[in-house]
Amino acid sequence: MARDDVKTGYKYVGTRPNRPDGLDKVTGRARYGADFSLPGMLHAAVVRSPHAHARIVRIDASKALALEGVKAVVTRADLPTGLTGEDLNLQDNTLAGDRALYDGHAVAAVAATSPLLAQDAARLIEVEYEVLPHVTDVDAAIAPDAPVIRPGVADYSVPEGMHGNVARYMEFGHGDVEAGFAAADVVREHTYRTEATHQGYIEPHAAVGQLGEDGRGEMWVCTQGHWYIRRMCSAVLGIEAANLRVTPSEIGGGFGGKTTIFMEPLTLALSKKAGGRPVKLVMSRSEVLRATGPTASASMDVKIGMKRDGTITAGQVYFRMQGGAFPGMSPIGEALPCAFACYDIPALKHEGIEIITNRPKAAAYRAPGSPMAAFAVESMIDELCRELGLDPIEVRLKNGARNGSKSSYGPVYDVIGLQETLEAAKAHPNYSIPLGPNQGRGVASGFWFNHGGETSVSLAIGEDGTATVSIGTPDIGGSRASIGLMVAETLGIPYEDVRVNVVETGALGVNEPTHGSRATFASGKAAVIAAEAAIREMCKRAAAEWGIDADAVEWKDGAAHPAGPNAGKFPPMTIGEIGAKMGSTGGPISGHHEVTAGGYGASFGTHVVDVEVDPETGRTTVLRYLVVQDAGTAIHPAYVEGQYQGGAAQGIGWALNEEYIYGPDGRLQNPVFLDYRIPVASDLPMIDTVIVEVPNPGHPYGVRGVGETGITPPLPAIASAIAGATGARIRSLPCSPPKVLAAIKALKKG
Amino acid sequence: MHNFDFAKPSTIADAAKALAAEGAQALSGGQTLIPTMKQRLAAPAVLVSLTGIREMQGVCLGEGGLHVGAATPHAVVAREARAHYPALADLAGGIGDPSVRSRGTIGGSIANNDPAACYPAAVLASGATVVTDRRRIAADDYFQGLFTTALEAGEIVTTVIFPIPQKAAYVKFNQPASRFALTGVFVAKFASGVRVAVTGAGNDGVFRWAEAERALSADFSASALSGLSVDPAGMMSDLHGSAAYRANLVKVLTGRAVTAAG
Amino acid sequence: MSRIHVTATVNGDPVEFLADPRETLLDALRNHLDLTGTKEGCGTGDCGACSVTVDGTLVCSCLMLAAEANGKRVETIEGMARDGLHPLQRKFIEHAALQCGFCTPGILVAAKALLERNPDPSETEIRYWLAGNLCRCTGYDKIIRAVQDAAAEMRQDHRGAA
Repeated sequence: MARDDVKTGYKYVGTRPNRPDGLDKVTGRARYGADFSLPGMLHAAVVRSPHAHARIVRIDASKALALEGVKAVVTRADLPTGLTGEDLNLQDNTLAGDRALYDGHAVAAVAATSPLLAQDAARLIEVEYEVLPHVTDVDAAIAPDAPVIRPGVADYSVPEGMHGNVARYMEFGHGDVEAGFAAADVVREHTYRTEATHQGYIEPHAAVGQLGEDGRGEMWVCTQGHWYIRRMCSAVLGIEAANLRVTPSEIGGGFGGKTTIFMEPLTLALSKKAGGRPVKLVMSRSEVLRATGPTASASMDVKIGMKRDGTITAGQVYFRMQGGAFPGMSPIGEALPCAFACYDIPALKHEGIEIITNRPKAAAYRAPGSPMAAFAVESMIDELCRELGLDPIEVRLKNGARNGSKSSYGPVYDVIGLQETLEAAKAHPNYSIPLGPNQGRGVASGFWFNHGGETSVSLAIGEDGTATVSIGTPDIGGSRASIGLMVAETLGIPYEDVRVNVVETGALGVNEPTHGSRATFASGKAAVIAAEAAIREMCKRAAAEWGIDADAVEWKDGAAHPAGPNAGKFPPMTIGEIGAKMGSTGGPISGHHEVTAGGYGASFGTHVVDVEVDPETGRTTVLRYLVVQDAGTAIHPAYVEGQYQGGAAQGIGWALNEEYIYGPDGRLQNPVFLDYRIPVASDLPMIDTVIVEVPNPGHPYGVRGVGETGITPPLPAIASAIAGATGARIRSLPCSPPKVLAAIKALKKG
Repeated sequence: MHNFDFAKPSTIADAAKALAAEGAQALSGGQTLIPTMKQRLAAPAVLVSLTGIREMQGVCLGEGGLHVGAATPHAVVAREARAHYPALADLAGGIGDPSVRSRGTIGGSIANNDPAACYPAAVLASGATVVTDRRRIAADDYFQGLFTTALEAGEIVTTVIFPIPQKAAYVKFNQPASRFALTGVFVAKFASGVRVAVTGAGNDGVFRWAEAERALSADFSASALSGLSVDPAGMMSDLHGSAAYRANLVKVLTGRAVTAAG
Repeated sequence: MSRIHVTATVNGDPVEFLADPRETLLDALRNHLDLTGTKEGCGTGDCGACSVTVDGTLVCSCLMLAAEANGKRVETIEGMARDGLHPLQRKFIEHAALQCGFCTPGILVAAKALLERNPDPSETEIRYWLAGNLCRCTGYDKIIRAVQDAAAEMRQDHRGAA
C-alpha cells in the first residue's frame, strides 16, 4: 500500500474519549481471573518442587485424599503420554515427569471444597526426591564441569563440540567485519550481563476450569490469548480444541507473561477427576515468581568499531541467553535481530546460543530479547561516544536507520521514524537542561519489530444504527477504546455508538494473543475492514431502496448518500434508518475479517534520562525521563502515552533494582514483592512523552503498535546516565546501590 | 496457614491470661506476623490480639519522658509524638507505607526485634524503658540479638517510655523493596552525652556504636566521625547489601543523622 | 478450631459471617460477601491491591484477620461511588490513569484516604502516600495527575459549598 493511502483529517482518531471499560474498572465491577465462581466449585492448590533439580522417586497422596472434602489429586500419571515438541514442553512444565527441573516446578495438584483445605491437603502429599546436580547461571551452565540438564536437547543448529546445555545456535550478518574494525579509529570490546526479571503483572494467574467425562469443557481465565490457552490445554490433556470453550476475564496485566499456560490445564484435569465439578486455581505471588515465565538472563559480548567522526564501521555480538529448563524459550531469535536494528552499519556479525538451566520456563516479556540486546549495544555505543567526545544523538542520527535502509537482520525498512525520534529528542528541553554535580544524562534508542498475526474480527450493525464489534484480543491497556475509535471513524458514527467486546473462543475464528504490540494494529485493521464490508452492504440496501446502482452510493458521516449522477436526488439514508429496517431489506447486516495480518511497521524510540547518584551510598535517583517514540498514528494518544510511560517504568526497574536471585542451592531467594522490587510511585518522576507520528503505510489509519519498544532504551540509557554522573560504567544489571558504590570506589582507586 | 484459635481480650490482665495457654502468641498489627503465618513459619495454637486493649493505646508526656502505648500504630505515633519528640515522629512516619503505619505498632516491632526494623534504633538510642505487664526493662538490656529480646514467654510490652533528647534524628537507607532499613542510624544528644543506635546492619541486630558516641559527645558534628571506621566483620550480609556495604552505610548515615539533628 | 462470628458494617451495610480464624478480611470480603472489587496481588501486604479502610484508616486487607474486623466500619471500592462517581473515579477515567485496572481499586481507596487527610497534597506527598500501591502498567504519571486533578476539583467544590 502506498503511503498516500493513509487517511488524514480524522474526527475520532486521535481524540481522547473515556474508555468503555473505565467505569467497571474504577468501581470494582470488572471481573478478573480470580473473581469468577461457579456453583459446586472446588478450589485447587499445587505441590511444587523445593529443589532446582531432582528425580521424583515417589508421590504418595493417600493422606491428602483421606481428608474430608478433598476430591481429587492429579500427578503426571494422570496426563496422556506420547506428546512431542513444544506440546511435550508444555506438559512437562504443567506437571513434572520423572524429574523436577527448577525450584517451584509443579509436581502434583489437589482439589478440595475450600482454598484453605486444598492448601492443607497439598502439604499432606508426600513427594520423595533424589536431588540431582543443578546449574542456574547462564555462563556457569556452559562451563566444562556443568551438569548436562537435559541430554539430547540440542537442535540441528548446534555445532559439534558445544556444551551439552546448548540447545540452539544462531548466526547471521553481512559485510566484512574484520575490514570494518580495521577501518575504525577506536575498537572496543566488552561483556554485558542482564539478570532475569519478571513481568510483574499485579494480577496472579487464575482460572476456573470444568471438564466432564465426555471430554467437553469450559474455562474462564485471565490471559492475553484464549485461543492459545485452548490449543495448549487441549494438547496437554489430549482433548479436542472444539470441545474446550475458553472465555477471557479482564486481565490484570500480562506484558507477555500471559501468552502461554502454566497451571491452567490442572483445573481441567482436576475437574475431570472430581466428576466434572468446576475447579478454581489462583496462584500466590511466590508461585508466580517461582513458576511462571520470567524473562531470560543474558551474557553478551559486544565489539564495535567507530571512526573519530562517529561513523560506526563494524559491529559484532555473541549473545548467551538462558530461557530455563526448556528448549526454545530464550529470546535469542529476537535479541540478535534487535541488536543493531537501529543502525545502518556496513559490516555486522551476530552469533548467539541458547542455554538450558534449572530455572523456570521463560515467557515473553515486553519486546522479548530487545532490552538485553539494547543494554549491550547501546551501552557500548555510549562508551564510544564518551571516549571520543561525541554527542550521542548526533552519532545515532549519523548511523541510524532510515527509510529504505536494509535492516541489520535482513529486510529493507519501508517508512520508519527513528530519525524523527532522534530529532525530537534533540529538540526537547530535557536534552539541554544543565546538569548539577553527581548528575548525568543518558540517551539510548530502541526497536521492536511489531507484529500482525492471526486475527479474526466481526462487526454487526444494530437495529438502532449502533455497531457491535467482536474481537479476540483481550484488552490490557485500552484497545477496546482504540478499536472503537477506528470503527467510529470508518462508519462515521459517534464513538459512544460503537461497543467493542472481547469474545470467547466459540464466537470467532482463531486469534493470536494480545502480544507483539499487535492488538490495536491487527484487530484494529481487521475491524476497519469488517466495517467497510458492512458499509458496502448498507450502501447496497440504500441503493436497492432508491433503485439505483450500488456503485452510485457513497458512505459518509454515518449515512449512505447518492453519488455521481444521482447526487442530491435522494436525502441521505442514515445507519439508523438502514438498521431499523434491515430485517425487511435482506436481513442482518454485519462484516467480518479473518487474516494473518501483514503490513506491520517497525517501531523505534529514543529515550533521554537524567539521574543523580549519591556518591556515598551509590543510590541512583531518576530526576527526569523523556520517552520519544514513533506511534505511526496515535489512535488514542492518552493510552499511547500510557504505553510509553509504563514501558519506561518497567525498564527503569530492570535497570536499577529488579533481578532474579538464585542461591547456591538453586532456589529463588526473592520470590515475594518484599524482596523482588518493582518501582513504586515514590521512585519515579513524571515521565515526559513525545509521540512522533510517521504513519505506517500498512495500516488504514497508519498504526504501528506502541506496546513494546518503551521497555528497551531505559536499560542502557540509565547505565549511561550513571556513567555520566560518576564516570563508572556498569556493565551488569541491575545498577543496584552496592554495585554502583563499588564501581565508584574502584574508579577512585584505579 | 496452620489453624489456630483466636482471642481478643480488652484488658492487659485478660491478655496475660490468654497468653499463658500452650502455644499462645500475641498478635499486634500483624504486618509481620500474618505473612509469617501464611508462610507457615509461625504456627501458634492460640493467637491473642492486643489491638482491642485501650490501656495500651496512645502517646502522652509522663514521668521519664514520652509514654507510647505499645499497641499504638505508627501513624498515630507519627502524629501525636510530633510536638514532643520530632525525630521519633519522623521515624514512625517513615516506616513502610501508609497501610503498614495504620496497623503496625511499636510494641509489635520491638517484641519481634527484626534486625531491619526502625523502632529498635529509636528505643536504644533514646535509652528508653520498655514497660511490660511484669516489669520495666532498660533498652540496653532489652535487645538481645536477632529476633531475640529480654521478654519471657507470655510477657506483654505495654508501654515504651522515651526520655526526650536535646537533639535527635533518624536517617535510614531503605532496602529498596520492603522499605525496611537496609541500615538505619538514630542519633540522640542528651545533656549526659550522645547515644548512637544502628539498625539493619549488625550481625546481632540493633547495636550502639560506642566509638561514634564518644566522638560525638566531645564534638556533635559529622566531621567528628571522620577518623572512625566500622568493622565489616560485625555486619550482616544479605541479598540487598554486603557487610562491607553496610559498614560504609553506618558511617555515612551517622554523619547525615548528626547533620539532620542540627 | 472454632469459627468466629463477625458482625461489621461494610460500605454502610450491616453484614455478618462466620470466619475461619485463618481467613483475612480480604478473604471475607471476596469469599463471604462477594465483594470482589478488592484484589489480591501478593497476600503479603506489599502491593496494596487489597487496600480498604477500616474505621477510616487505610489497611491492607490481606494482612488483617477477618476476626479483627468485628464491630468495625469497612469501606471498599464498591462503596466509593455514592451520588455518582467519586471525583477520583471520574478523573482516573478521564486521565487514562488505568490500563489493566487491577491495581485501580486499591489505588482509588488509598488516594481517597489521602485526600480526606490532606486536601492539597504535593506531588511528592501523593507519591509517598501511594508508595504501598504497586502499578505495573502506567509508570504512575497519569495516576498522580488524576489524583492532583481530583483534589483540585474537590477543593473547588468545597469552596463553592462554603
